[in-house]
Amino acid sequence: MSVRHLYVHLPFCVSRCGYCAFVVAVGALDRRDAYLEALLAELELERSRLGPLETVYLGGGTPTLMRARRIVALLERLRPLLADGAEITVEANPETVDPDLLRALYRAGVTRMSFGAQSFRPRLLSALDRVATPDQIRRAVLYARGLGFASVSVDMLLAIPGQTVEDLAADLEEVVALEPDHVSWYELELKPGSALAARGDLALDADFAEEAYARVVEGLEAAGYRWYEIANFAWPGHECRHSLAYWTARDYLGLGVGAVSTIDGVRRRNAAGLARYIEALGRGEAPPRTYEPLDEDTRRRERWMLGTRLDRPLDLAWAGPPDRPEAIDRLAELGLVTAGAGTVALTRRGRFLQSSVLNELMEAW
Amino acid sequence: MEQSRIRNFSIIAHIDHGKSTLADRILEATEAIDEREMRSQVLDSMDLERERGITIKAQAVRVLYTARDGQTYQLNLIDTPGHVDFSYEVSRSLAACEGALLVVDASQGIQAQTLANTYLAVESDLEIVPVLNKIDLPAADPDLHARAVAELIGDDPERVLRISAKTGLGIEEVLEAIVERVPPPAGDPAAPPRALIFDSVYDQYRGVVAFVRVVDGAFRRGDRMVAMQTGRSVTAEEIGVMTPAMTPTGSLAAGESGYIITGLKDIGDLRVGDTLTLAASPAPEPLPGYREVKPMVFCGLFPVDSDDYPELRDALEKLSLNDASLQWEPETSQALGFGFRCGFLGLLHMDIVRERLEREYGLELLATTPNVEYRVTTKTGQVVTVRSPVELPNPSAIERVEEPYVRCTVLVPQDGVGAVMGLCQERRGTFVTMEPIEQRQQIVYDLPLAEIVLDFYDQLKSRTSGYASLDYELVGYRESPLVKLDILLAGDPVDALSLIVHRDHAYQRGKVLVERLRETIPRQLFEVPIQAAIGGKVIARETVKARRKDVLAKCYGGDITRKRKLLERQKEGKKRMKQVGRVEVPQEAFLAVLEIGDAAGVRR
Repeated sequence: MSVRHLYVHLPFCVSRCGYCAFVVAVGALDRRDAYLEALLAELELERSRLGPLETVYLGGGTPTLMRARRIVALLERLRPLLADGAEITVEANPETVDPDLLRALYRAGVTRMSFGAQSFRPRLLSALDRVATPDQIRRAVLYARGLGFASVSVDMLLAIPGQTVEDLAADLEEVVALEPDHVSWYELELKPGSALAARGDLALDADFAEEAYARVVEGLEAAGYRWYEIANFAWPGHECRHSLAYWTARDYLGLGVGAVSTIDGVRRRNAAGLARYIEALGRGEAPPRTYEPLDEDTRRRERWMLGTRLDRPLDLAWAGPPDRPEAIDRLAELGLVTAGAGTVALTRRGRFLQSSVLNELMEAW
Repeated sequence: MEQSRIRNFSIIAHIDHGKSTLADRILEATEAIDEREMRSQVLDSMDLERERGITIKAQAVRVLYTARDGQTYQLNLIDTPGHVDFSYEVSRSLAACEGALLVVDASQGIQAQTLANTYLAVESDLEIVPVLNKIDLPAADPDLHARAVAELIGDDPERVLRISAKTGLGIEEVLEAIVERVPPPAGDPAAPPRALIFDSVYDQYRGVVAFVRVVDGAFRRGDRMVAMQTGRSVTAEEIGVMTPAMTPTGSLAAGESGYIITGLKDIGDLRVGDTLTLAASPAPEPLPGYREVKPMVFCGLFPVDSDDYPELRDALEKLSLNDASLQWEPETSQALGFGFRCGFLGLLHMDIVRERLEREYGLELLATTPNVEYRVTTKTGQVVTVRSPVELPNPSAIERVEEPYVRCTVLVPQDGVGAVMGLCQERRGTFVTMEPIEQRQQIVYDLPLAEIVLDFYDQLKSRTSGYASLDYELVGYRESPLVKLDILLAGDPVDALSLIVHRDHAYQRGKVLVERLRETIPRQLFEVPIQAAIGGKVIARETVKARRKDVLAKCYGGDITRKRKLLERQKEGKKRMKQVGRVEVPQEAFLAVLEIGDAAGVRR
C-alpha cells in the first residue's frame, strides 16, 4: 500500500524554548541549503513508497526560518506527488512571518497555516521563552486570513507556569476574537529534556488544572468550534486532515532529522543530529534510524489509543476488541463511555479521562 | 589448647558505638585475616546487616594472640546484636562467654540498651572490660564517661581503656586486658561432654550448622551426639572453628567455641539453647538453657500479586530455616486475599524479614498494620488469643481484653525528662521509678507494648533531640478497654486496615488514620469515601474526590510510541496498587498508621 501522508521536519530555531523537547537545530542557519539538499535526497530514496499525497505537513523547529525560497523549492519538488485538493500545512512562529513570506507560501500552494501562539499574555510568553509579542501573533493570523489560506490555526498552551484563571480567560477571549478556523490547545507536558522539566517549578494549582481545560472546551464550543479531538477544535470542515491521518492510524512518511514514519507495521525514527543526517544523505545513504516493529496487539491498542481521541464513536470492526471487554459496562456505569451497536464512544467526561479509561480497557501497552 | 589459655568474650555496645570496627581491628591485630581480602566489618555477613550497620545473628570467631607474657592465647569473639529487638540473642551469646568488652562512645556515654545488656552480663557473672571508643573525636569526654562507666560496673576509672577502633589506637591494650582480666573457662575436660548451642543456621549444602560452646569434655568428628532437650541424635559430620572462614579442626575441647555440621534438614531439631552431649557417654544434666523466644509483634504479609502466594510460602519456609524466632501461619483477608500472619520479635525484625522477602526472593509484599497479641476472655469464660484485629470477638461476647505491657527504661539528659514523661503519659504509661545515672536520668515506665510498636521510638528521639535511648522487656498482661476500629473504603469494610485501639484513643486514631488514607489513596474514577467506625458507628470521615482529568496533551505521528509508553507507565503504577473492592489502594496505605523505619529506630 502506498503512503498518502507526508511529514517534513524543518528543525532550525533561533533558540530553544523552555518547554521544547523536539529535535531542533539552534545556531545552524548556515546549514539550511545543505539540509534542503539532504531532504530532497531522502525524498528520492523514499519516493517509491508514496502514492498521491493527500496531506503534507511542514513542521519544526521553526519551518519559516527556511525562508520562502527554500520552502517554495521543496513544494515545487512535491507538486507532482500531490493528489487533487491536497492539504498542505506549514507551521510558523508568528515573529518569523511577514506579508511577503506568507504571500509566497500561498502562491506555492500552501492551504493551511498553523501559528504557534501558546498564549497572548506577555508574562506567560516569556515564561515559555517565546519571542513573539501578542501583537505579532494577532497580525500574523489576520494577514494569513486576509490572503485566503483555506484554514488558519493557532496553537495554545494550558498549564503554563504562573498561569492564573484570569490569564486563561483572557487567552480564550483573544482566540475567540481572532476567529481562527482551527485551534489546538494542549496541556503543557513536562518532557524529559526540556529546560522547564529541569527547572521543576511547574506546580500548578491542582483544582485550577482540573477546571481549566473544561473552561477551554466551554469557551471554544460557545464560539462555534467543534471539540473534534481531545486537544483540537475546529469550525466544521476545518479539521486538520493530516492529524486525522495519525488519529485513524494511517501510514505516514516522515522526512528529515528526527522524523518518525509508520509504514506497513513498522515505526522508524530518523536519528537526531543534523550533521549525521546531512552527511549520510550526501553519500546517497539513508540516515541513521531506529526501527520499532509493531505487532498486531500493539497496533490494535494504538488504534484504541488514537481513535478514542476523536469525538466520533470508535468502530470496533476497525479497531478490534479491547483486552478487557468486560470493563466497558463498568465504565459505562461511571458515565465515561457509551456502547452502541459495534461502537464505543467516550462521553464528554470520559474524554477528560482518556488515559485512565484506556488503562481500564487494556492489559498492557 | 589448654583451657588456661582460652578466653571467650563478647562485645556489648550501642549501635554506632564502634563494635564492628573494634572486631575488625582485633581480627587484623591478630592476623586472623589477610588485610587485602578484608571487607570492612567481616562479622556482619548478611548484606542487609552491612547496610544497616547492625548485626543480627550471633557468630563466633577464633583468633590466636601472642601476649606480652610470651604465651599464645586462643581468643574466641562471640558477636552480639546491638538492637533491642534482639536482646534474647545477646543473652545467648553472653552465656557462652566468661567476659565481655563494654564499648562506650567517649562522646555519647552509655545508652539504655547498653545498660540493659551490661546488666545481663553482670547477672551472668561475666568479667566486664570497659572500653571508651572514639577518644580521637573532638566531642569526646573520656574522663567524664570513664568515671560513669566505672561507677556502673563497680570498677576503677583507671581500668577503663581508652581507644580509637578507627585509628587502631589502644587495640593491643584491649587484647592484653582480655588475656589478663577475663578468666579462662572453668569446665571439666574429663567430665561427660556438654556443649551449649548458642546459634544455628541452615546451609543448603551442609544442612544445619550448630554454633556451640563446649563446656565439659570434648567432641570429635564422627561422634554420635544427642540434643538433650529434643532427644534428637545426630552425627558430627564436621567440627571446626571460624577464623572467620569455616576451618575444620576435627575436634572441640572444653572451653572452646566453634561449629558442628550435622547434615540435619530441620533447624528445629537443634534448638538454640539446647545442650549437646555424646550418645555413648551422656551427661546427666543439661546446661541451663535460654528463655524461650516469643514473637511480640504480628502483621499480615500478602503478595501484591496473588499469584505469588506459593512463592511467599516457600520464601517464609526458607527464612524460618535460619530464624527460629519467625512465626507464620496462613491468613485470609477479604481485601488482600491469601497471605500469612507473621510473628516477629519487634519492628526491626519485622522490617528486616519483609525486606529480605522482597530483596532475596523478589516478592512484592503488602504488610498490614502491626499489632501485639491480645488475650480475650469471653462471657462464657473462654480465653482466646488474638493476633489480628479480625479475630477480635463481637463486643457483646467479650468479658475483658488484656494486652501485653512492657517495662520501658529510658535514659535521657535532665532537660529531656519532661518530654519523655509527657510522651509516656500520652501513651498510657504508668510511672515506675526515676533515678540519676551518670549525668542523666533513668526513667522507668510500664507501657502497653502496642503503644511502643507504633511510632514511640521515633517520637522519643524527636522530642529529646535524639538524646534519649530506650530499652524494654515484657512484664505481663493487663486488662484494658480496647475496641476494634474498622476502616471502610467506598462503604466496604477493609479487614486489612482494622486496628485494635484503646477506647479513649479511638476517635483521635480514627481521625488521623482516615486523613492519612485520604492523602495516600490517589484519586480514582469515582469518589471514594473513607470512614472510620467502631461497632458500626462512623466516627470519622474523609473523601477522596473523583479524578476529573488526565493530562490532555497532543498526540501526533512522532508522539505515538512515547504516548504508549506513558500509558504503560501509568499502568505499572496501577499494578503496584492493590485492588480492594473497587478501590485501588497503594501499598503505603496499609502502613498509613506508622512509619515502620522510624519506629524501628534504625533508618536515617
